[in-house]
Amino acid sequence: MSTSFSLYIPRESGMHRLHPLTKLALVAFCLVLGLFLPGVWLTYLVFLLIIVPLAAWAGVLPPFLRAAFKTALPVVISVFLVQGLFWPGGTPILHLGPLSLKQEGLQFAIRSAGRFITVVSSFLLLTFTTRPDGLMLALSQRGFPNSIAYIMLATMQIVPRFQAKANTILDAQRSRGLETEGNLLVRLRALLPLVQPLLLGSIVDIEERAIALEVRAFGRQGPKTSLLVLRDTPAQRVLRWLLLLGMLAVIGWRLYLAIAPRLAA
Amino acid sequence: MKDDGQRPTEARAPMPIVVEDVSFTYPSGTHALRGVSLRVSPGEAVAIVGENGAGKTTLVKHLNGLLKPGTGRVTIGDWDTREHTVAKMAARVGYVFQNPDDQIVERTVGDEVAFGPRRLGQPAAEQQANVAAALATVGLTEAAKTHPYDLTAPQRKLVTLASVLAMRTPIVIFDEPTMGQDARGVALIGDIVDRLKAEGRTVLTITHDIDFCAAHFGRAIVMADGQVLADGPAADVLTRADVLATTNVEPPQLVRLAQALRLKRAPLTVEEFVAEVVGSE
Repeated sequence: MSTSFSLYIPRESGMHRLHPLTKLALVAFCLVLGLFLPGVWLTYLVFLLIIVPLAAWAGVLPPFLRAAFKTALPVVISVFLVQGLFWPGGTPILHLGPLSLKQEGLQFAIRSAGRFITVVSSFLLLTFTTRPDGLMLALSQRGFPNSIAYIMLATMQIVPRFQAKANTILDAQRSRGLETEGNLLVRLRALLPLVQPLLLGSIVDIEERAIALEVRAFGRQGPKTSLLVLRDTPAQRVLRWLLLLGMLAVIGWRLYLAIAPRLAA
Repeated sequence: MKDDGQRPTEARAPMPIVVEDVSFTYPSGTHALRGVSLRVSPGEAVAIVGENGAGKTTLVKHLNGLLKPGTGRVTIGDWDTREHTVAKMAARVGYVFQNPDDQIVERTVGDEVAFGPRRLGQPAAEQQANVAAALATVGLTEAAKTHPYDLTAPQRKLVTLASVLAMRTPIVIFDEPTMGQDARGVALIGDIVDRLKAEGRTVLTITHDIDFCAAHFGRAIVMADGQVLADGPAADVLTRADVLATTNVEPPQLVRLAQALRLKRAPLTVEEFVAEVVGSE
C-alpha cells in the first residue's frame, strides 16, 4: 500500500523498527498519562521527557516539532484567551481594560493546553513512525475487524490527502484569477470555492477506494496473507504488558485520588 | 457570484515565454528541473512529451507562477513570474488542469465557465460573449444550466477547457487534454488547438498522446530527468526514435510505419504519409 498519502516518515531507527502494537501501546500510555495525571504541569513533563525523546530517537524531531507546533498553537492560543479572560468569577491577576486575566482560568488553560499537546503529539509520533498498512496488519492479526482497521487507517491518511487535494484545487482556482494572497479577508474568501470540490471529491474518492477494496476481496472472510512481515520480540511483548499495567495503575491512582477524600469524610 | 471587476482584461498582445536556466527542487528533495532554458514565440504550438516524472508539469507550473524558479528566471512578456501573483498571471496564461474535478467549483456549467472571466474583471457583455463562445466551441451550449457533476467525466474535462478558453488569454496550457476522451473528443480538442493557433495564441500541451501531438503541434520538446532532451520542429523531434526511447516515448504510429517501410521521410499526418508512399512508387 502506498504511504505517499500518510504522514509516515521513513527512517532507519529503533523506534521505526518497533512492532506497530508496541508503538500503539506507547502512544496509549502517553495519552493516559496526559489525560489522567493530576496537577497542572505533569502533562508537560510527559511531552518533554517521553514523547520528545522518542521523536528524537526516531530521527523525526524537527518535522515532529513543526507539525505539533502548527497543530497545537491555534488551539492553545484560543484556550488561553477564552479560559484566561472569560473565566466566571475567579481571582483577577491582570486587568486588561474591561477584561481581566483570572488565575483559575489561567490554570485551567495551562492544564487543558498540556493535555491537548500530549494527545496531539502522541498521535503525531505514531503516524510519523508507523507505516499505516503495518498498523492495520498488526491490528487485523490480533483479531481486530478489517473494516474497523481500515477506518483507523483511512483516518490516519485523511489529513495529508485533504491537504494535497486542497492545494491542487487552490492552484486550479489561482490559475483562473482567484486572488489568494493578501489579508485575512482575501484568504477567507479564497477558501470558499475550495469547499465544494474538496468535499465532493473526497466523497467520490472514498467511494472509489471502497469499491476498489471490495473488488479485491477486502470483505472476504477467512485468513489473509500479507507481503508485509511484522517483527515482534518477547521483550516487546513484555513491554506492552508493562505499559498496559502502567496505564491501569495511573488510572487507578487517579481514581483513588478522586475517591479518597470522600472515603475519609 | 458577483463580478468584482478589479482587474482589467490583459491585452492580447504578443507574449513570448522565456525560461532561462531554471532549476527547481521540491521540498522532498526531488530535483524536478535542472537548468531548463527555452523560448516560445507568440503563436507557437508546443507539445511537451516525456515519461512520468520527467519534469513536464513542474515546467508548465512555472509558466503561470504556480511554482517559482529555485534558480533562473521565467518571463511572460515583460512580467517576471516571481514578481506577480498566480491570480495576476492568469490574465496572460490560461492553464487547464489534468483532473477536471480539481477545478470545478460552481453549480452550473455556465457559472463555471464564467469563473475565470469574472475574476479577470472582464466587462459583463464581453464576459457573456466569451462564455457563450467557449461553450459553443466545446459543444456544451445546451448544458449551460446543468450542474457540472451531472455531466460525464470527459464532458467535465471539456467544461474546464471552456472555462480557460473564455478567459481569452494569449497563452493557453493544457495538461493531458485528451486523457479519457473518445475519438470524437480527441478530434474536438484538436480542432480547439487548431483554432487557437489560427487566432495567433500560444498553445502548450503536456501529453502522452503522441499521435495527437504529431497532428496538431508544430514544435515538440522532449523531457527526461528534469532536462530538455530535444527541442525542435515536431517533424524532426518525433522521428528521433533513439531520443524518444530514452524517456519511454514511442514515435507516432505513422512515423513507425514509415520507418518500417523504409520511406525516405517520416510523415506526421495521413496526407503526408500518402503523398510519401505515392511519391516513392
